[in-house]
Amino acid sequence: MGIINIAAGRVISSSAVLIFLTLLLLAASKRVSTCINLFVIQSAIIAAQVFAIGYLHRATEAYIVGSLVVLIKVIAIPYALYSLTRRLRTSRDVKASLSPARSVFIAAALIFVSFSAVQSYAKDLHVARDPLAAAVAIILTGCFLMVSRNKALMQILGLLILENGIFMAALITTFGMPLVIEIGVVFDLVMGVLLMGVFTFRIRDTFDHLDVSKLRKLRG
Amino acid sequence: MPVVKVAQFVLLILSAPLVRGITARLKALLQRRRGASIWRPYADLLKLFRKEDIVPPSASWLFRASPRLGFAFTVAAVAFVPLVFSGGLLSFTGDFIVLVYLLAFARFLLLLGALDGGSSFGGMGASREVMISVLSEAPLLISLTAIAVTAKSASLASIVAWTQMQSFFDMSAIHMLAFAALTLVVIAETGRMPVDNPATHLELTMVHEAMVLEYSGPSLAFIEWAHALKLNLMVALLIALFVPWGIAGGAGAGAVIISAAVYVIKFFVAIAALAVLESSVAKLRMYAVPEFLGIAFALSVLAIVFTVILKR
Amino acid sequence: MVLLLPLVLPVFVALAVMPFKDGIRATAVALAGGFLEIALLINLARHIHTQGAIAFGYLRADGLTSLFLVGLAFVLLVTLLYSINYLRHVPVYRFSSPRWFYCLLFLFVFAMVAAYLAENLGLLWIMMEATTLASALLVGFYNTEGAVEAGWKYLVVCTVGIAFALFGTIALYLAAVRSGIDSSSALNWTALMSAGSGLGRVSSLVKLSFVFVAVGYGTKVGFVPMHSWLPDAHAEAPSPISAMLSAALLNCAMYALLRYDAISVRAIGPGFSHTMLLIFGGLSLVGASLLMIVQRDLKRLFAYSSVEHMGMVATGIGVGVPLGIYGALLHTLNHSAAKSLLFFAAGNVREHFGTLKLDRITGMARGMRWTSAFLLIGMLAIAGLPPFSLFVSEFAILNAAFSQERHLIVTVVLLALVIGFGALIFQLQGMMSGSSQVSKKPSTTVSEIAAMSLCSCVVITLGMYLPPVLINIIHSAMAVLNP
Repeated sequence: MGIINIAAGRVISSSAVLIFLTLLLLAASKRVSTCINLFVIQSAIIAAQVFAIGYLHRATEAYIVGSLVVLIKVIAIPYALYSLTRRLRTSRDVKASLSPARSVFIAAALIFVSFSAVQSYAKDLHVARDPLAAAVAIILTGCFLMVSRNKALMQILGLLILENGIFMAALITTFGMPLVIEIGVVFDLVMGVLLMGVFTFRIRDTFDHLDVSKLRKLRG
Repeated sequence: MPVVKVAQFVLLILSAPLVRGITARLKALLQRRRGASIWRPYADLLKLFRKEDIVPPSASWLFRASPRLGFAFTVAAVAFVPLVFSGGLLSFTGDFIVLVYLLAFARFLLLLGALDGGSSFGGMGASREVMISVLSEAPLLISLTAIAVTAKSASLASIVAWTQMQSFFDMSAIHMLAFAALTLVVIAETGRMPVDNPATHLELTMVHEAMVLEYSGPSLAFIEWAHALKLNLMVALLIALFVPWGIAGGAGAGAVIISAAVYVIKFFVAIAALAVLESSVAKLRMYAVPEFLGIAFALSVLAIVFTVILKR
Repeated sequence: MVLLLPLVLPVFVALAVMPFKDGIRATAVALAGGFLEIALLINLARHIHTQGAIAFGYLRADGLTSLFLVGLAFVLLVTLLYSINYLRHVPVYRFSSPRWFYCLLFLFVFAMVAAYLAENLGLLWIMMEATTLASALLVGFYNTEGAVEAGWKYLVVCTVGIAFALFGTIALYLAAVRSGIDSSSALNWTALMSAGSGLGRVSSLVKLSFVFVAVGYGTKVGFVPMHSWLPDAHAEAPSPISAMLSAALLNCAMYALLRYDAISVRAIGPGFSHTMLLIFGGLSLVGASLLMIVQRDLKRLFAYSSVEHMGMVATGIGVGVPLGIYGALLHTLNHSAAKSLLFFAAGNVREHFGTLKLDRITGMARGMRWTSAFLLIGMLAIAGLPPFSLFVSEFAILNAAFSQERHLIVTVVLLALVIGFGALIFQLQGMMSGSSQVSKKPSTTVSEIAAMSLCSCVVITLGMYLPPVLINIIHSAMAVLNP
């Protein structure tokens, strides 16, 4: 029992570092499938955090939320994304508008920014600084991915990473919101991803490509 | 204690060809081939030592001297690396910088020898090698410095001792970033995939191979041994800097044996990871290598910046 | 019961419409369900006014809710009337038949009603996201290149915005928990309002929360610079849906902002939140009116006008004086009526001329008498001319700003109004005069005329006489915001 206690505590403190690693690797990836795998790893880390918090604070709600996260973000949504990539039959390339080295530089800069942004809040809120900085870094990196990657699938993935970051921020600061709200949020996310998948198909059918930078017919 | 240090020094040197053999065998198994025996590199070295050196007519004394000198410098670098004991054969403040420059000088000698050979392959390989090494120098030194700053000491032995006292789960972001950067640099410096294919003989893809194309006999043996020694040394360095738990602090026989066993396990994990990585990525095109090293540079710079802002 | 019926009915209607592949029967079911829903919404509003606020679980309806529900009921009425015959113009594909239209429309209505009735801020968030999801397929209804692009942009930009609003919601939850409110009611609007100054102790968190909520829900309202999705979505959607989006959905997002503004004012005083609203309002006013000058597509012109008017509403709230809030709330209703009218007229124009490009629409005064009359009324109204209703609400807002000696705001508003007026009248003149390029006879049906004349009646009547019922509703809404 003691070991599980220690392990749970360690999970939360070491997860920040692992998340930074996933963020930097996301910035450096050149293939969509690599990015989806990294998203799975990130969601798994967050799910582990949920379970650890649930164990340490003896909150059964956390186990339900954690299982939901595993089910939806680690299994269901990545599976949907994979089948989407298969059925769309487009190139595996991420269509980045920046080279990998520059993307990693910017991701590193975003991590630095998130640390500075979190400094004052972490002290006020009495939370560990590293996990909160990791959450903010995930949000910033998600935005960055949406902006710098020109493929429709990558925009969906950037959005999912953004939601991951917000969820983790909520987890670290408030140990999660009421259960009903969490379920609603997850449900919304699933519906959103489904709809975006439908639209990706429509884009492919109407435009014959998936490059969102070429969707510039409506301007001004 | 000195006996252990000398023993680990000699072991590192002698086991270098074995490292190459194991890596090649693992890669072959991953590719569903049988692969050559893991002792094959020793057989190759023996064969080469028994043959004679053939020197191009336009070469000078440098051609035969540079492999031997390069090997000597690499052996000197090995003296600083901890293996089963938390200190290498030699240890003083700032020794990791000396290690980096010993390796750099060995590489420089190799370049000179390649240029001295007079063939166009030598020149081409030399220029590619210089590009890679110029770009990998900075991340290497910056990452090592970041770790040294975090450990508040500048000798490898004390860094390893400090890291041993930390808990594995409290690994700081600096270490993770430095580890990532150093992994990339090690891949580039030792000429593994995706930077350079160690088994290729196509001129389009050769880097290290191009430089040694003119060599034969004992000179080639020394070059190959030095190359394998560099890989062995860098893997041992990575293990010692980032996962040193299990290394013996004292000279008790029991501690040393446990330390050796733990090292073998860590070593196998590292080599397996290397083999998997090499089998799963394609070689980068030459103009993509600076980007690869640029990522390493970004990571190492971030590690240094973190040493300032984290103040741990 | 009174609370739950209007919430549950749209879902039933959405499901009930699906089995009818035949357009006529689907429309009949939809109309019946729609009229029933409108009746239920009016009933709920009446109930609130006779018996005070009603609450049930996570739902609550008070004076503010009643105002917006009345507006939604009106827009739903005219949209249903208009769609009866408009749908015959929509090419039928696998997912663009009348039954899908009505199904998605009623799901959209459900999401909006649920957002209005939500007392729990988390439920509000969920339903706001649901409105985006429900309307995305409606925006992409035509399945053309432009529609698909507009739908994608709408979905992505609004989901990102709403994600930021989620962050703001979480920050407010955190602030509430830190200031001592029990965690099970920390997302409850009434609990947060009564905590009031207690929240003031965590003012930095409240400010952070409002910033993110303003950016997030502001994206859905269409504030500049988060407005990029709006012209595309409102222009590419079918005209009845454009009307719903402009007239109902923007109000829904503004409602969410109003709830958060009320909490912020109670907790840390009006300075911070009202300044943010004024900044966004000013940017939207100026940005939209400038962009209106260069528009060459009729519905895009109207969409930018929506952005301008939402900026006007934000300015009204930001001024803070009761007169300003009164003007802003009245403006939401007036804008709904006028904008629906305009989009309906635009729909007719599109069907007759085959295009929405302004330089190809000429000679309407002779070619399409009914539609051009309504278009004239609508454009004069939206430009803010008396005797139409928008003049009254804009005058109230300007009066409020002037009384507070906020001359910069007055200048900005007047400037935007003048530029917008110029852009609209210039295009109107181009459309009305000249000879028509199209020689076929316009086919404007009774239902379309009925819908447009209802809107015109509201726009004209409210400009000259405000029924006491309406004034009561607005005053009760103001009482909710400033207890």
